[in-house]
Amino acid sequence: MKLTYTYLFLLSLILTSPFAVAQQNKTAKTIKLLSTKTNYEAGQVITLQFSINTQEAPLLYCANSYGSTLVTATLKKNTREYLIPKNITKKTGLINWKLLNKSHFLSGQIRINPKQEVATMETYIGPPSIQAGGTDYTMLVVIPTDSLDNPLAEHTLVKAKHQFLASEETHDIFTKHLIAYKNINSKQESGRMLVSSESLGINSKEFTINVAAAIPTDFSISASRPHEYADGNQITTFSTSVIKDKQNNVVSDGTFVTFFITNQKQDILKTTGTTIDGIAQSKMIHPDFKDTWSVKAYIEGMSESNTILLSYKQVIEDFEVLFSNKNRTLTVGPLQSFMKQMIPDGLQVKLNIYNNGALINTLIKTSFNGYVSFNLKPAIYKNSNYDFSIETAGKTKEFNTKKLW
Amino acid sequence: MVSLNKNILRTILIISYIMVIALIISGVSALFSYLNTGADRSTMLHTEINKVEQYTPKLEWEPLQNEGRPMDNENLNALQNDYLDAWYVKQIAYKTNKIAGIKDYYTDSARKNLYDFITLNKAEDITIEATTLKHNPTLDFFSEDGQLAVITDRNVVEYKRLFKAEQMVLETTETSNYSIVFLLEDGFWRIRHIVKENVDISKKRHEIISVNHLNIKGINYYPQANPWDMFGNQFSTAIISKDFKIIKEADLNTIRLFVQYNDFGKANVDAKKLQKLKQTLDIAEAYQLKVVLTLFDFYGDYSVMSYTLNQRHAETIVSTLKNHNALLAWDIKNEPNLDFESRGKDNVIAWLDNMIDLVKSVDDSHPVTIGWSNTQSASILKDKVDFVSFHYYEDLELLDAAIKNMKTEIPNKPLVLQEFGLSSYSGLWKPFGSSDTDQANYHKKIQDIIAVNNLQFMSWTLYDFDNIPEDVVGWQPWRKQTQEHFGFINQDGKRKPAFKYISIK
Repeated sequence: MKLTYTYLFLLSLILTSPFAVAQQNKTAKTIKLLSTKTNYEAGQVITLQFSINTQEAPLLYCANSYGSTLVTATLKKNTREYLIPKNITKKTGLINWKLLNKSHFLSGQIRINPKQEVATMETYIGPPSIQAGGTDYTMLVVIPTDSLDNPLAEHTLVKAKHQFLASEETHDIFTKHLIAYKNINSKQESGRMLVSSESLGINSKEFTINVAAAIPTDFSISASRPHEYADGNQITTFSTSVIKDKQNNVVSDGTFVTFFITNQKQDILKTTGTTIDGIAQSKMIHPDFKDTWSVKAYIEGMSESNTILLSYKQVIEDFEVLFSNKNRTLTVGPLQSFMKQMIPDGLQVKLNIYNNGALINTLIKTSFNGYVSFNLKPAIYKNSNYDFSIETAGKTKEFNTKKLW
Repeated sequence: MVSLNKNILRTILIISYIMVIALIISGVSALFSYLNTGADRSTMLHTEINKVEQYTPKLEWEPLQNEGRPMDNENLNALQNDYLDAWYVKQIAYKTNKIAGIKDYYTDSARKNLYDFITLNKAEDITIEATTLKHNPTLDFFSEDGQLAVITDRNVVEYKRLFKAEQMVLETTETSNYSIVFLLEDGFWRIRHIVKENVDISKKRHEIISVNHLNIKGINYYPQANPWDMFGNQFSTAIISKDFKIIKEADLNTIRLFVQYNDFGKANVDAKKLQKLKQTLDIAEAYQLKVVLTLFDFYGDYSVMSYTLNQRHAETIVSTLKNHNALLAWDIKNEPNLDFESRGKDNVIAWLDNMIDLVKSVDDSHPVTIGWSNTQSASILKDKVDFVSFHYYEDLELLDAAIKNMKTEIPNKPLVLQEFGLSSYSGLWKPFGSSDTDQANYHKKIQDIIAVNNLQFMSWTLYDFDNIPEDVVGWQPWRKQTQEHFGFINQDGKRKPAFKYISIK
């Protein structure tokens, strides 16, 4: 008897179970997604279709990489259609959506893949100028994009091409993290490198990289001058040899060279020049007294030259001084150069005036037509005994106890 | 006599004449000098930098292992600033459907995508309030010339609220991964491409925090001399020690303290105030008192755009104090339901919801509660909080029924009567107020109700105050006077009759 009841109970359970399941299905089925495709190519029309058995027309929320919006339904009998806006369907990445019905939210995701085509090869290259020698490099970054401005799928092949002198090379690179990149190293030579890229048959435009010579190596210098006299008038020109880097490339024009001139008194004179075709030139006026220069050039912090010695001969061996006008006018001259010609205007003559052993004034004048004259005014130089010394062209003459009256 | 009168008349005439002239001259000169003031020339170049922090989501870079050129801190900072600004201008643009600011942070081609959304949403009358709460970027690539960078920002937590015709239709929290290409243009790191790779819309569940050990018998505390300005210049550890001793000896075990949002420096928490708060907790620990810390006191802006600023504030305080032995629980906000009307119930609840998530993400061991001002609001967010706190200043006759009602609504969370009390003020502004005896009777009665219902409690408050700031109850003397007399100890330091019923023996 007991067993019968148990059987009856079991039987009733089996009989009622389909109803329970069916009922569950019925509530779940009130809203159901009909469109099952979840992968689309960018730009394709996407319509989400739901079957619905109420009068509801809920909004559909959808969001992509750039923003979110709400889509209103198109009402059809027993279905609701949602046309995903074009600005969402044209961008790659994930779209997540949610149906905002009253009871329970249906949600899902759609992936938009980029088109398998290249419309533009967005190319960035830099630095635009690199150094020869093989260690320095420039970087080519390519973002191939499709016609809807989406970066192409990961692992898309991009050909990075470059030409330099006789060599033309192509390397296969692949997009990763939306971009593809290649480091392009310089060669031993300096020059211009042309770079371009290609993906899926579309080529980028041409880019130019300037390969400049590396840092200069040591060089030699020379000097040229019209004569070897210290006339304070002619100009000595210093030049460098052709300055090159260690790969024998001529350094860039405009490389700055400084010439240091040390004279016998250990004074330093400095003159500078910049290179053209590897040669820098610089000039310096001759000294006006006998001297020997030692000259050395530097490209600061990078390289230096040898030292050269230059001697300048004395031109004025002796000069005369004439006192007149109560000893108040001193005429120095004639000042004559190496061929007895009058020295060119501008030679400096210095007059030191002493009274009672103390220096009271120094007058400096430059020669004109081979002469210099000093006028000592009575208002300044009272009547008294004075000592004078006159210096020019490295020579000094002294006149003691001259009376001015 | 006549001549004297005439002289007086003359004097008055002359003086008034001089006055009128003086007034006219001063008026004309004021106008003249006003017209001569122009803009300060130094402002022409906009050299003054007033960087205000507007958007501070939690951002943690993964260790730098990028391809290309090694990244340095200056560039990474610049990139981070511009990246967050890009999010910020986007949020503002979608909230207002205006394009201001977009072009500084998105390149020519990228900004078109945002403009498309703005046009679409504007036409459909859709606005979006959104913010990002967390970023976890990895630098994937930095180009040799420093002009291009690629990052993958993983687990970006975005909180969004969508409005159609000003009606909120969706509130959602999404966790997404983005790949982003930046270009350095005109000194800005601008977004060139942004691709969403991954979205997760499931909400993170927090660990359940055990509240079985809670046995709160406490009091709301402010020092007598400086209520609502506890951590200002008058902060005194001596006074606090003395008060905590009184509390401990009165057989109480917990105090409730308040951290004011503006006072503590908003998003950049004032280290000095935080130190004072920590000292207070140290003293509480010495007296074996536990502390319920109420955050965001006197804060009333629940806008989505301020979330990140609020969260940095809470994060700093919570992470500094979470390991303190005296800490018992976090009270997210005092009486937020009072802002329902002025700020919108949805806004306030959403803010609380997100703030609980934040506090729990920083501190997963201390329970969290919200100090509702009445029993009706107590069930809001009952599943989020670890115990339910409510305040009661209404008729004691109705309390028992209200508690029974709450217990059926919230069957599985402890209830804490977090504020209650009666002002013993009776005077000029309130002639029929309660007396000290009434107050004592009130506390005796409510302690009975507490005992019967097995509630935990925190009374309001230890002291009668002398000086209540206007922000608290307004300027009206009848409100101020009433608020001043809720204490168990009066203004002269004498214990009022109610002190006898401060705790359950």
